[in-house]
Amino acid sequence: MRHRFKTKAWLYLTPALLIIFIVIVFPILYTGYISVTNMSLYHWSDYKVIGLDNYARALFKFDSVFLSALLTTVLWTALNMVIQLGVGFLIALGLNTPKLRLKRVYKTLLMVPWAVPAYISILLWRVGMFNIEFGVLNKLLTLMGFGKVDFLSNNVIAFCSCMALNLWMALPFMIATIDGALQSIDRGLYESATLDGAGFWGKIRYITIPGIKPIIAPAAVMTTFITFKQFDIIYLLTQQRGYMTGATLNTVITYAHQNAFVSNNYGLSGAVSMLLFIVIILFSLLTNRSLQED
Amino acid sequence: MRRISKRKHREKIRLVTLNFIFIILCFVTLIPIFYTLSVSFSGQGAALSGSLSFLPENPTLENYRAILLDEPFLLWLKNSLILSVGTITISMICAVPAAYAVSRWRFPGRCGILKALLVLNAFPQVLSMFALFRVLKTLGLLNSHIGLMMIYAGSMCVFAIWNMKGYFDTIPVDIEEASKIDGANNTQMILRIVLPLAKPAITVTCVMVLITVWNEYLFATTFLLDSDSYSLAGGLYQLQSNDYSRSWPMFTAASVLASAPLLLIFFKIQKYMVSGLTAGGVKG
Repeated sequence: MRHRFKTKAWLYLTPALLIIFIVIVFPILYTGYISVTNMSLYHWSDYKVIGLDNYARALFKFDSVFLSALLTTVLWTALNMVIQLGVGFLIALGLNTPKLRLKRVYKTLLMVPWAVPAYISILLWRVGMFNIEFGVLNKLLTLMGFGKVDFLSNNVIAFCSCMALNLWMALPFMIATIDGALQSIDRGLYESATLDGAGFWGKIRYITIPGIKPIIAPAAVMTTFITFKQFDIIYLLTQQRGYMTGATLNTVITYAHQNAFVSNNYGLSGAVSMLLFIVIILFSLLTNRSLQED
Repeated sequence: MRRISKRKHREKIRLVTLNFIFIILCFVTLIPIFYTLSVSFSGQGAALSGSLSFLPENPTLENYRAILLDEPFLLWLKNSLILSVGTITISMICAVPAAYAVSRWRFPGRCGILKALLVLNAFPQVLSMFALFRVLKTLGLLNSHIGLMMIYAGSMCVFAIWNMKGYFDTIPVDIEEASKIDGANNTQMILRIVLPLAKPAITVTCVMVLITVWNEYLFATTFLLDSDSYSLAGGLYQLQSNDYSRSWPMFTAASVLASAPLLLIFFKIQKYMVSGLTAGGVKG
């Protein structure tokens, strides 16, 4: 009986495993192989294995862009997560105020950015919000009598612009998740807390936050991964071919992409990719364990 | 008596303030959308003028006419539909049996596979894009929809397996056993009992695959180089990367047309998205 299950199970799994191997596993292995070669535009087919030089170059070279990109990525992820959780929590809390009759309308309207395809949102913001001539922000600044600002011109302001856009795109998911979690809390708890004389903040601290934590934790971990992997926003806003905006902002992902598709240094790009993969695996093992312990 | 009315009064003020905050918040959130709609309905000069208004001054459908008739928008739409349907078909053929197997049977290697899938899902595909590029080039599949469908299907497969496994787990085994006692063989049982029961789960998964394919631009713009094979993403990308001062109003019209169907679908299945995403994304 057991044996029959075994063969049948693997039979059912074969198509899926086959396509996953071809499309995901093999390219990763191949990237690993490329990372130890000197493959580049000049060595497209006559490349040779050079060992761990690319890794050394990414990690230990004095002015390593990789390390500064890693720092940017960590800062980007941390800031985004703190703001998303904080603002998302406040908005969801507001939505759950008793007797707020228009709750459903507000919630639906706030969900709209989530529904718009990401690349369309980014391209619309690039011209519609940030552009010097067409952008809403610059039109507003002009109306108020200020000078125009190029929102993508240097690293600091480009980082802030990218973050504003990321918040716009990602907050709806956070609000929806926290809103769902808040509704799962038993109303009776609040009533008895009121009888015990607990204030607004006391209730939030001792009832709301512990109540929503088990639901929010997996969603927060997932969003952290997505934020860490975020590529589209920085790439489409500041690095489109022929439209470099002057900012040299790079996260690790855009750095790997740039090495592969712009400076055509495939070996180095492969090394950066493999290093990232290791970071991500370690991080996911770590968070998986802490989630299970909760 | 007086105290109660005072408290009611305070509550009222709080509600009014809260409503006020939410109205402003919704308005600020929707500014990019209002502006896009307004530009898409206005004539050529309006976008360039210094004034800022969210209502087009001389409303016109010229931009929509231009994008539908002067640009190959309908061809892009057709290509996007082909890619979506193809990807959904391939990924479901692979993922439904796999999800069923890992949900129903305990066999050696099951846990390992489930965990390995999660780890693979953590790998950002952008990073192996160059390797994929070389593979496709070697196989002669650059520029072909089949190659892109395979890539999409493979990457969506992991998500689909996890997502549908979660739903299969909730269908009681008793129902299957009852049908076996009634003499149904395995294939009959799956086709007649399990699939109809799992229909909502499969539908939701298909819709999520559809949304992903519809929204994907990076592979679509890297692997499809021939303008005849462009999907909506490729077309829109090219439209804005040319001379956007000329095509910006047209681009807004194209954005509205490309997003509208997704907006409708999204709000239909939104309640499944939160639970499905988190269940499939992290839980082990």
